[in-house]
Parts: sequence; structure tokens; C-alpha cells
Amino acid sequence: MKIVKIREDNCIFCHLCEVACIVEHSQSKDIIKAFKREEKPIARCSVEFNYPVSLSVMCRHCDDAPCVEACQNGSMHRDDRGYVVVDADTCVGCWMCIMACPYGVIKRDTRRESWGLSTKCDFCPDREIPACVEACPNEALTLEEI
Amino acid sequence: MKIVIVGNSVAAINAIEAIREKDKISSVAVVSDENYRAYSHPLLPNLVIGEVSRSEDRFYYRRSDFYQKNKVNAILGKRVVKINPKSKTIELDNTEKVEYDKLLLACGGKPAKPPIDGLELEGVHTLTNIKGADKLRKDLKNINHCVVVGAGLIGSKVAEKLAKKKVKVTLVELARRVLFPVLDDKGADFIHKELKRLGVNLILNDSVKALDGSNRVEQVVLNSGKRIKADGVVVAVGVSPNIDLAKDAGLKVDKGVVVNDYMQTSDESIYAAGDVAQAYDVVYGSKRPIPILPLAARQGRTSALNMLGMDVKYKGGFPMNSITIGKTSFISMGIVDSDELEILSFERDGEYRKFLIDEDNRLKGMILVNNVEKAGMFNWMIQNKFDVSWIKDAFLNSDFGWKYFNKAFRVLRLDRKIK
Ligand SMILES: Cc1cc2nc3c(=O)[nH]c(=O)nc-3n(C[C@H](O)[C@H](O)[C@H](O)COP(=O)(O)OP(=O)(O)OC[C@H]3O[C@@H](n4cnc5c(N)ncnc54)[C@H](O)[C@@H]3O)c2cc1C
Ligand code: SF4
Ligand code: SF4
Repeated sequence: MKIVKIREDNCIFCHLCEVACIVEHSQSKDIIKAFKREEKPIARCSVEFNYPVSLSVMCRHCDDAPCVEACQNGSMHRDDRGYVVVDADTCVGCWMCIMACPYGVIKRDTRRESWGLSTKCDFCPDREIPACVEACPNEALTLEEI
Repeated sequence: MKIVIVGNSVAAINAIEAIREKDKISSVAVVSDENYRAYSHPLLPNLVIGEVSRSEDRFYYRRSDFYQKNKVNAILGKRVVKINPKSKTIELDNTEKVEYDKLLLACGGKPAKPPIDGLELEGVHTLTNIKGADKLRKDLKNINHCVVVGAGLIGSKVAEKLAKKKVKVTLVELARRVLFPVLDDKGADFIHKELKRLGVNLILNDSVKALDGSNRVEQVVLNSGKRIKADGVVVAVGVSPNIDLAKDAGLKVDKGVVVNDYMQTSDESIYAAGDVAQAYDVVYGSKRPIPILPLAARQGRTSALNMLGMDVKYKGGFPMNSITIGKTSFISMGIVDSDELEILSFERDGEYRKFLIDEDNRLKGMILVNNVEKAGMFNWMIQNKFDVSWIKDAFLNSDFGWKYFNKAFRVLRLDRKIK
């Protein structure tokens, strides 16, 4: 299965992966609208910086996915492609998946009225190549068989 | 092969999924005395006050086509009353017998019964299954003042939810703080504040001696002599493993059903997983039941693979909890309070971080309050007995993350070369 390979030596801390991720997960998929008019999605990848280190980190789509095991109601699950995704309609924001994820790549969206929403990389189901990989100008993120 | 599972919850469902990943042919039957498809126990307090209903998918552990899709014979609403290890059969409460080649005990636990007089009165509840939740929900119209006995996970959650529903709530806890095993004093203070803000009357260092009333509970008597007027009581002093079936069948039991590293009981055809099992705790270095959902899931999977003859070792687990009360979320795991371990801690602006490390530089436990998103990275370190000597200085940073690790290690981990 292909996942996003992180090549930290190429990362220049430009955050374009995060921008692309936000746009891809927005309602309109339009950059201006996504950032200024609609509720701005939370980026599924995070760029970390600690001079001279910088890298973008996102879900590793584990084959033994501890987040899936920890989920209290099956919201965190493996989809037909084999990637680990959240069912937003059923997630209750209990953060048990966060407690379990060994890579620390799940974020909390607490903006919904009644239930929190676990937010993580869904490997862009509408695309051939994930948005972050396509957006990275210097191949610090590449699509590879791991 | 005929596989039979007693219980139809987290451990059972994960066992079924693991079986069907490897084996589409063996017959699988699951028997439960509860007449519903598997559901989410952590949502029971929400169910009581109507935040979630039984018609919603989010209340269930799997979608409704689960049993059909996995070709499982679901025998629901029937209780297993006996196991006959010699003839490899189980008996149901309608005298029906079911044969097995491999049997999995995934029958969970039941509410522990504290030594309190008057538990049989009307208006006294427990909350570990749908039946209990429905009974409490229907009784809410009769309850103006509810006493919750025990401020563990379930008690604290119920107290929060009832208070939200504008019921007057008194929460009584024997220890000096709520959530005693999963928080330290400082962490618990965050929760004390939330509960008080919600209007919960908190009584610590005291316990309930008796419930008084002629038919329905009217008054709660504490050990200190204090008396509280109440027309409802929820007893939540913990769960104890359902070991009777195993014990009567002559299997080795202690606090839970004793299993080896392969989740196998003292009978080689019978396995146990989940809240009923007494499996290895990697933090304490001994076997004990740890009644939490993620471990029930993992043990269910492991036991299933071993039933299929695959020799998969259960690496052990440790307690871990993710709880939100009011506006405060915390995640804690392993040992959270100790006089012997090295302690690193930090508190500022509503954030609290605490790490407990042994003399070999192994992380033994931690608490994160409010800034919880990296909790799982510490989970990994505890589970894998990772040497933290070179990274622990960064633990207290609010922005703890991959950037603080040694590069070679980071690359190997992120490439999934070290699991
Ligand atoms: C209110 C509440 C909140 C919780 N919150 C959390 C939380 O936030 N995080 C967490 O990690 N864990 C939580 N838990 C614990 C979690 O739900 C359990 O760890 C998990 O459900 C264990 O799964 P299990 O499969 O071992 O057994 P159970 O879920 O206990 O299921 C066992 C099943 O077996 C059935 N059974 C028992 N005996 C028989 C018999 N003789 N014949 C037929 N059927 C039988 C029972 O009726 C039951 O349906 C909570 C539990 C409760 C009650
Ligand atoms: S969210 Fe974490 S645990 Fe789940 S698949 Fe991704 S990396 Fe693995
Ligand atoms: S936050 Fe959502 S996806 Fe994560 S464990 Fe809870 S219900 Fe499952």
C-alpha cells in the first residue's frame, strides 16, 4: 500500500502541504473561500520546526491501526481502499483514538455543537495523489510503497 | 472448525473481525444475554439523558449488517449457564446445547456490589448496560436529587450528565479525589472545578453506609454520619469480571479468568479476552484485569488469531483513559502517582503535563490535561519500554513532537521501519 513518505531533508518549512490539505478538505475546494469565507478545515498534516529540523507529519495508515482498536463506536475504520478514516457522522469526540495513535497525528476539532470530531489524514479519497504530496514544491512529501 | 463466543461486545466483535480476515470457512456463533447488536458502553451516560438514542448509528459498535457480512450466527437474548469442557459444549438458559471446538469467553464484567444496606430499594441504579441505562432514563422523572456513589470513570461521567440535565447531584467518593487511579491530586482538581461549576455537590473522603426509605430510597446515610435526602441513587463503585462460568467449569480463575500470553485459559480449547480476562500488565509487570475498551479490542483480536492456531503473543497492556468532563479533557495512562519514580511536571494556563519515569529511564505513566493530542506517542514509549533518557527533557514542552527526536530514529519510525 502506498503512503506519504516524509523526506525531511527536503522540507523548507513553507507550510504549502497544510494549505493544500485545508483547501482539499474545504466545502468549496477554493483557496480563498476555504481560508476566508467558509469554516476553515483543520490541516491533517502538521509542519514541525526545530532548527535545523523541519518536517511535515501525517497519519502513517498503520496496518495494525491502534486508533481503530481504541475507537468506542467504529467511527475510526479502514475504508475500502485500505486507508484509515473517520466517519464524521458518528464520531463522538472521545479522543480515545488520540490516546492510542503512536504517531500523535490526530487532531481535535471542537467546533461542532454536540460532538467533537477526530480529524486526521484520509488519504484524499477524491484524488489520485494526495493534495499535500502534489503541493510540495521540493518533494519533501512523496507517494511511495512502504 | 466451530468457534463459539460468549458475550457480544468489544472483545467478541474484534475476535470476529480477526477470524474473518483469516478464515472464511469456520462457523462462528456468538451468544449474549443482551438482545441487541454490540453497542458503545461509554455512551451509556449520554443515552440516559437523551444525548444519543438507540436509533442512531453512533450508539453502536458496528453497523447493523455486521453479523450478516461476517457470517456470524448471533444468538441474542440467551444466557450461557454452563460450560462442559469435557464434552466441549455450552448450555443456554433455554436448555439448548451448542458444541464448540474453540470457545472464547468475552463475557465482560458486572457492577461491583458495595457493602451498603438498602440496595434493593426502588430508585437505586447501576449503569453498565442498556438495561440499566433504560431503567435510569425512565426513572429520571421521579428523581430530583440523585446521589452518585463512587467517582470513578462511570460515576464522574454520570454525575456530569445528570447535572447537565438539571438534576441535583451529590457525588460521594471514598478517596481524597475523583478518578483516583487515573489522576493525581493536581489533575483531579481540574475535574473537581468542572464538576462544581456544573453544580455537582462533591463529597470526598466519605462513603455511603446505607440507603433508607420505605419503598423508594429517601435518604442516603454516609459513614461520617451525614444524611442526604435523595430520591435516586446510582451505584458506580467499579466492575468485577464475570468469572462464575469459568470457575464452575473448573478453569483457573483469580480476580479474572487467568490466561497465558496467548489469551488461553487453563483449558486449551477455551480462551478469554476483555474485561473478564486477567492478562499481563506491562507497567506493573504482573497479570490483572484492566477493564478498558482498547485492551478488550486487542485481546479479542489476539485470542482469535490464537484460536486459529497462529501463535500470536499478547504483548500486554496497561490502564489508559481519555475523559472529558465539562470543558476539561485529559488523557492519562500507566502509573499516575508515585513516591519512587522520577517525576517531571508542568502546569500553566490550564495545561498540565506529568511524566513518571523509572531508574532505567523507562516511562511508566503520564497525565496530559487539555493539550492531549500527542498522548499516543507516550503510549508507544510505555508499551515498548523505550529508553527516554535522551528525549525526556522535551516532554514538558507544550509543542512536544517529532521534531525533538533524534533524526535516525525519527526517520525509521515515520517510515514504519520500527513498529
Ligand atoms: C458506562 C461505561 C462507560 C465506559 N467508558 C469507558 C471509556 O471511556 N473508556 C474505556 O476504555 N472503557 C470504558 N468502559 C469500559 C468498556 O466499555 C469495557 O472495557 C468494554 O465494553 C469491555 O468489553 P468486553 O467485550 O470485554 O465486555 P462487555 O462490554 O462487558 O460485554 C460482555 C457481554 O457479555 C454478556 N454476557 C455476560 N455473561 C454472559 C453469559 N453468561 N451469557 C451470555 N452473555 C453474557 C454481557 O451481557 C455483555 O453484553 C465503560 C464502561 C461503561 C459501563
Ligand atoms: S491515526 Fe495514528 S494509529 Fe491511526 S492509522 Fe494513522 S498513524 Fe496509525
Ligand atoms: S474521537 Fe471519534 S474516531 Fe476517535 S475514538 Fe472517539 S469516536 Fe472514535
